Parts: sequence; C-alpha cells; structure tokens
Amino acid sequence: MDWQAFALTLRLATVTTAILLAIAVPLAALLVLGRARWLPALEALATLPLVLPPTVLGFFLLVLLGPRTAVGRGIAALLGHPLAFSFDGLVVGSVLYSLPFAVQPLVAGFAAVPSSLTDAARLLGAGPARMVTSLLVPLARRSLVTAAVLSFLHTVGEFGVVLMLGGDIPGSTRTLSILLYNQVENFDYAAAERTAAILLAMCVVALVAVYSTSQQRGGNRG
Amino acid sequence: MGKRFFAVFFALLLGAPLFAQTPLRVAAAADLEPVLPPILAQFEKQTGMRVEATYQASAVLTTQILNSAPFDLFLSADLSFPQRLIDAGVADAEGSPAPIPYAKGTLVLWERRDSPLPPPSLALLSDAALKRLAIANPERAPYGRAAVAALTTLKLYDTLKPRLVTAENIAQAAQFVDSGNAEAGLISLTSALTPRLAASGRYFVMPHDLYPPIEQGAVLVKVSSQHAAARRLLDFLLSAPVQAQLARSGLTPVK
Repeated sequence: MDWQAFALTLRLATVTTAILLAIAVPLAALLVLGRARWLPALEALATLPLVLPPTVLGFFLLVLLGPRTAVGRGIAALLGHPLAFSFDGLVVGSVLYSLPFAVQPLVAGFAAVPSSLTDAARLLGAGPARMVTSLLVPLARRSLVTAAVLSFLHTVGEFGVVLMLGGDIPGSTRTLSILLYNQVENFDYAAAERTAAILLAMCVVALVAVYSTSQQRGGNRG
Repeated sequence: MGKRFFAVFFALLLGAPLFAQTPLRVAAAADLEPVLPPILAQFEKQTGMRVEATYQASAVLTTQILNSAPFDLFLSADLSFPQRLIDAGVADAEGSPAPIPYAKGTLVLWERRDSPLPPPSLALLSDAALKRLAIANPERAPYGRAAVAALTTLKLYDTLKPRLVTAENIAQAAQFVDSGNAEAGLISLTSALTPRLAASGRYFVMPHDLYPPIEQGAVLVKVSSQHAAARRLLDFLLSAPVQAQLARSGLTPVK
C-alpha cells in the first residue's frame, strides 16, 4: 500500500475543503441575502465547473496557469515555481472543480432560513457579517456539514484535473485516484483492488462518522 | 396516432444500425493519430469499405480488447501489448506466434522555439536550467519506456528523475511542453512532425543506439467478424507506397 499517496490525498482534500468553506460561506450568503441584479450570473458562474469535463478544466488550468500567460508568470514569481505539477496547483484545481459542491448546499441551507428572522436581524441593525455568523451558519449547520463532506469526498475522488495538471509526481501530485488508475492500467488488479478497498473504507468511515454526529444534533433539536 | 408514430419511430431507431454497413474498427496507438487518418482515407477510397479508428495509449486499448471491445485490428506502439493479446488467446497474427511488425518509432527531444534554453541536443538534458522534462508514462507508453531507457544509457536518469513529469501518453507530454509548463519533452517523431508542433517547436532526434528499438506490431482480433477485411487493411499498411508514406510521417518502415 502506498501510504504516501494516501497521506497526500488526505492533505489535498483537507486543505481544499478548508479553502472552499472559507470561500463558499460568504459567497452563498451573498447569493441568498444580496439583491443585486448580477447575482444570478455569479451563481451560474459558481455552478459552471459541473458542466466542464474535469480533464478539460485541467487542460484550461494547465494553459492558463502556465508560464506562457501573464497570470501564470505572476503566480510563478509569487511562489517561486510554476503552479502546474505541484501540490499548490492541485489545490487551485480542486477548489475550482469542487466549488459547486460547497456552494449549492449552503445556498439551499441559507435560503431555508425564514425571511422573518433575517428581516428581524436586519431591522435590529445586524450587518452582513453578523447575519452570517450568528444567524445563517448556526441555523444551517447541517448544510455546512453537507458542503464540507461533499467537497472533501469530491476532492478525494478527483481524477481528471489531477491527471491533466499533476504530472504523476510521487509525494506531491500522485493522489490515490491516480495511483489506482496506474495500477489498473498496468494490469496490477490485485493492488488496484486493495487501493480501491482502502479508498472506499475511508469514505464510508468518514461518512458514517459525519452523519451520526449530525443526526444526533438533529435529535437534540427536536 | 401519436402512439403509432412513436412505435414506428423507435422501430426505425432500433433497426437503423442493421441496415448500415458495419465499419472496420481499428484500435490504434496514440502515436499513429497524426499518421493514420490519410492512409485510412486512401484505403476507404480504394476498397469502398468504411474504417473507424480509435486512438489511445496501447495499454488502454489492450485492456479494452482483453475485455472484448469490438475492434477488428489492433495497431500497437510496441510488440509487448499485442503479444499479451496473442498469449491470452484473444488475437492472432496470421498463424505466427508473434505480432506482425509494421513500423518502427523514433524518439525525439522536443522544445518550444521561444524557449530561453539552448536548442534541443543531448547537452540540453544535462543543463541545470532544465527544470521539468516531460515523458510519457514508462509503464504503459512504449515511447515513455524508450525515454527512460535513453536517459539510463546516458547515465542521466537518476539526476533527472526528480525533474521528470509523467504524462499519460506522448500527446500529453507534448502538451506539457507546448503549454510552457515543462521546458522540454521526449516525444515521438510522428508528433514532432505534425504541423501544429512543427510550427511551435524544434526537435533533436535521439540517437537510436540509446534505447531498444520501438518496434510497432499489429494483431487481428479474434472475435472480429471481419477477419478478411482486417487482413486486407494490414496488407495495405505493409505495402510499399504506404510504408514510404509512414517514413515521411516520422516512422521507420519495416519493409
């Protein structure tokens, strides 16, 4: 078993989930509470990664973040290395790729908070930051859990973006899904079965843990 | 009325493939993608048959054929993958126990024209400014295997190993270099000669004594119902004019 790939996948999924929640909570709050005309366009944009095949998204990132564009050169100057074929590059790719899986549950959860409560908070002078931290997030806690779980699992299972952007470097871009693919392609079915079993077991354990704690919370509330 | 319309519509939809002539299906290695289409067009024109080609890494096609993918002819980028199919009993080579060689591949070092590094040569491989070298996956792409063999012969493999980026196949290796993310790549001459890459880059032919020859072999798939047609296409590939055409596209003829 390749523990390096296992650890790398966990690290990638954790970092990606943390960044996604930091982006998605304010974004979802803006989409639900905001009144601006261009918000539907923003929501559409945040959902768009669902449409693009992951390999295509990976290819666009490879070209866009490569040293042949101003964006790519800027990032390379900032980090000291180009983004492609590095862990940081995979984080950028994963955040974009899993964005809808973090934003959509949060939008649904925030929208389910009764408008009487948000209106009352607004009348009492709560600013947008206060509304999010004291009202939306506590009331939509289950959506937050769902968003985190989906982001995490979607990143663990991510393949196309990593394939295009990664370059299969052990310890920095060879994730479990790439390892699994390599094993299958190299006719090493026994190893592939082991990797797949570990991947599935890990996800089942994580899901059961998350759902049992959020279930308890639901029970206490009711 | 509406019901009958849909019944007729679906009957036509289901029946349509029965009337169409089944095309000859070719599973071809990725390095043939720039080479094969005009050759297949000539074959179609000469014989009136229809040919459809699928281009993939040889290992991927091998797995598909092992799992009874509906191909008639397999053109691999090496001899080991078609040999595997013969050994598994799903393909044959006109009675011979080994695949039929149809061409030899050539490995080149490729670099963008606007690269700040010196032009491609063996010296470039030991240049410290070469931060990323793209190769195809050595475990399943014959050109990747040749790349590793060449670097090993040059005693550069251990130094370059941390700087290697592995692509799925030579096409992706070329893409890594063409997009500027790797400074150079070891790819096939067939890719380097495509108009797209010939315009943006330049290449150096890796000396042939650095790596075992990339012999490309063909086999006929047993489950095929079009054995005669598949054999005819293979004979066409081995004919003198087509072999000469292969030479112009970056493959070495076997005849």
